[in-house]
Amino acid sequence: MNRGKVRGQVLAFAAIALVSAGCGGGGDVDVDDPAGTGGSDSGGDGGSENAGGGTLVAAISAQPDQFDPHKTQAYASFQILENVYDTLVVPDAEGEFQPSLATEWTTSEDGLTWTFTLRDGVTFHDGSAFDSADVVYSYNRIIDEQLANAYRFASVASIDAPDPRTVTITLSAPTPALLDNIGGFKGMSIIPEGAADATDLATTAIGTGPFTLEGTSAGGVTLARYADYWGDPALVDGVEFQYVSEPAAALTALRSGDVHWTDNVPPQDIEGLEDDEEIELGVTPSVDYWYLAMNQAKPPFDNRDLRRGVAFGIDRDEVTEAARFGAATTNQSAIPEQSLWYHEYAPFEHDPDQATELIEQAATADPQPMGLMVTDEYPETVQAAQVIQAQLAEVGVDVGIEQETFATWLDRQAAGDYDAFLLGWLGNLDPFGFYHAQHVCEGTSNFQGYCNPEVDELLNQAAAETDQDARKALYDQAAEIIVDDVSYLYLYNPDVVQAWAPGLEGYEIRADKAINFETVRLPE
Amino acid sequence: MSRYALRRLAQSVAVLLGVSVLVFAIMQLVPGDPVRAALGQQADPETYQALRERAGLDDPVPQQFVTWIAHAVTGDFGVSFRSGETVLSLILERVPATLSLALGAIVVALLIAIPLGTASALRPRKPVDWFASLSSQAGLSVPDFWLGIMLILVFAGTLGWLPSSGYTPLTEDPAGWLEHLILPAITAGVSSGAILTRFVRSSVLESLGQDHVRTARAKGMRARDVLTWHVLRNALVPLVTVGGVQLAYLLSGVVVVEFVFAWPGLGQLAFQAVESRDYPVLQGAVLLFAVIFLLVNLVVDLAYARLDPRITYRSAR
Repeated sequence: MNRGKVRGQVLAFAAIALVSAGCGGGGDVDVDDPAGTGGSDSGGDGGSENAGGGTLVAAISAQPDQFDPHKTQAYASFQILENVYDTLVVPDAEGEFQPSLATEWTTSEDGLTWTFTLRDGVTFHDGSAFDSADVVYSYNRIIDEQLANAYRFASVASIDAPDPRTVTITLSAPTPALLDNIGGFKGMSIIPEGAADATDLATTAIGTGPFTLEGTSAGGVTLARYADYWGDPALVDGVEFQYVSEPAAALTALRSGDVHWTDNVPPQDIEGLEDDEEIELGVTPSVDYWYLAMNQAKPPFDNRDLRRGVAFGIDRDEVTEAARFGAATTNQSAIPEQSLWYHEYAPFEHDPDQATELIEQAATADPQPMGLMVTDEYPETVQAAQVIQAQLAEVGVDVGIEQETFATWLDRQAAGDYDAFLLGWLGNLDPFGFYHAQHVCEGTSNFQGYCNPEVDELLNQAAAETDQDARKALYDQAAEIIVDDVSYLYLYNPDVVQAWAPGLEGYEIRADKAINFETVRLPE
Repeated sequence: MSRYALRRLAQSVAVLLGVSVLVFAIMQLVPGDPVRAALGQQADPETYQALRERAGLDDPVPQQFVTWIAHAVTGDFGVSFRSGETVLSLILERVPATLSLALGAIVVALLIAIPLGTASALRPRKPVDWFASLSSQAGLSVPDFWLGIMLILVFAGTLGWLPSSGYTPLTEDPAGWLEHLILPAITAGVSSGAILTRFVRSSVLESLGQDHVRTARAKGMRARDVLTWHVLRNALVPLVTVGGVQLAYLLSGVVVVEFVFAWPGLGQLAFQAVESRDYPVLQGAVLLFAVIFLLVNLVVDLAYARLDPRITYRSAR
């Protein structure tokens, strides 16, 4: 779902440092020898890549803000929590939902009651048994405390636990996107009943996932394999996340073998790394999208023709090249090609003549001034804006680039104090997340002030349509109107770029950028 | 002297209070809402409002300030908006790394400045002097992010002698601590070293020209002893002042160096706090920096008396 424009926001410069083994030194306090695999060396410190599986060292580019899955909005936090917590259901690499803490689920005829059967024999990292009360507690915590993800339960009337192995979710309206709402990412993790009061979830974690959070420090985080994990135990003894924000440092560490995996690969480095034998490069299209939005509460940007003129005036290939060095796929709608919800629709061929004509008729000045708000938090918006500025200069729009820190950017967006802005939405899976809150008239993410009753009707209908094909047809229709009206001017879907040591096995690079080290085996 | 120290302490408290008011006021003037920064765009208005209330941001600003001060004097600096951790623990967590880097860098700076500055003062307008002024110019001009990346590429990449980045606590692994410290300490120390070189040079030159030095030479004292006992000792006094300022600067975090080397220091913490408008953390960090500056200056002033018996502090009655 629309997990967030900005999960990464506050991470800015992220800090860093590879404190080995966090607070706990060896950090192997409660590690029962996992099935004899590790000998006496389980949980060993970095470098011991022997029979025990060793410790995977991962350099991530941003720093987590905190570890409470229900409160954080930071991608860096989720990179770690992905390995520590579980949700009821979990998306596979294709975005289809698979069993996790729930083994199966059924929906009532009217689509208003969902019944989940929970997995047996699951224990939390503190040893307590997992049951339905934990699910009810976790979800109610998000709802009652109005935490950041509360909106995902907007259509939920109640959550009940008829018996320890069953959870029923009662809805006020059919919600086919429910699985995405409760399982799309680890922000919807299940924590033990009462955990928020019993421990400080910002700095510790009690999950059910393949790894336990052993220690945190200003420079990194240490995870250890959870021997009683309900699935197959992880192959490595532990994972050491280090916060390395300087790409040159991360890549040097990867080459020298100090680090096994990193996501700190700037797109401009891709070309140079492709033939590099010391590094395995992974590039795959992501589910993120980047767009330009014009303030439709403000003339002349309320004029559909003017917005269409701007859309004709932009050459997406050039923008993509500048912003991502080609590591992206241009797209005129939100959903990427690889998704089963993709709908091919591209009405805007780059056409400066038509752009000039449309803009001339609708503009209030010649050339038409347009402030374009970007943020150094996401440098690609700055790069894209420079190209857009040049392109639109040719069709009668004088773009003034306004670069802001992200906190200020968000403030101005919320206040409607802008002509246009560039930004992205990250991590969506279901079309509800791609389109709904951004384009319905009263949508919580509709900052651009778009309102088209026809789109409202289609989106509301689609949100409650339980037949997948019918639902897709509705979203396709809505998307076409949204694109035609230029509610958003969609630009591209960026690639996920990660790199790891040659010989690292079992790692799967994913479109939703979830990072899971459960099945990873270190190089010999 | 103790009376002097007391008076200085009292002044310091006033300065700290002033600094707090200023930071608080500036944060109010800077656009950007901490709650929005923490939530991103996702949150609906109710969540936003709930968080604002919880953080006390809807109270009048003077009241927020008074609340903060009242807690601060008891050692409670509040809780980070961003992470939910206490400000004190966030800061304390980073003190060892910052201390390591600042001391490492000042050692590097002195190792550069004292020999180079002295040598160039002893041979003014000779090749060694040219070399010294050229290299100190270079040291000042080289951007530290560039120097840092170059050092990483050469010493961690090509040569593979040192780790590329990161920090290991001294208590955990002293050898690892030193290995990780070398490159960042050089990067941070070079510009301080360049500044100090110039001070050492001019201050040694000045000492050399003084009467007592001439006298010492005239009575046949060995050149080496003249230098050690009469020149350097006197030249040291101004160096302590400038060195103290440099140390305080290094202690309050060298953001760029910390960033390049993934060094979990205070500079990064403060930088992040600014970015996310995390008022409590920023307030705490700035207060700490102010304390550092005041303390270092106090220590420097008191050290004068030790280094130069002619200087005494008497309270004026």
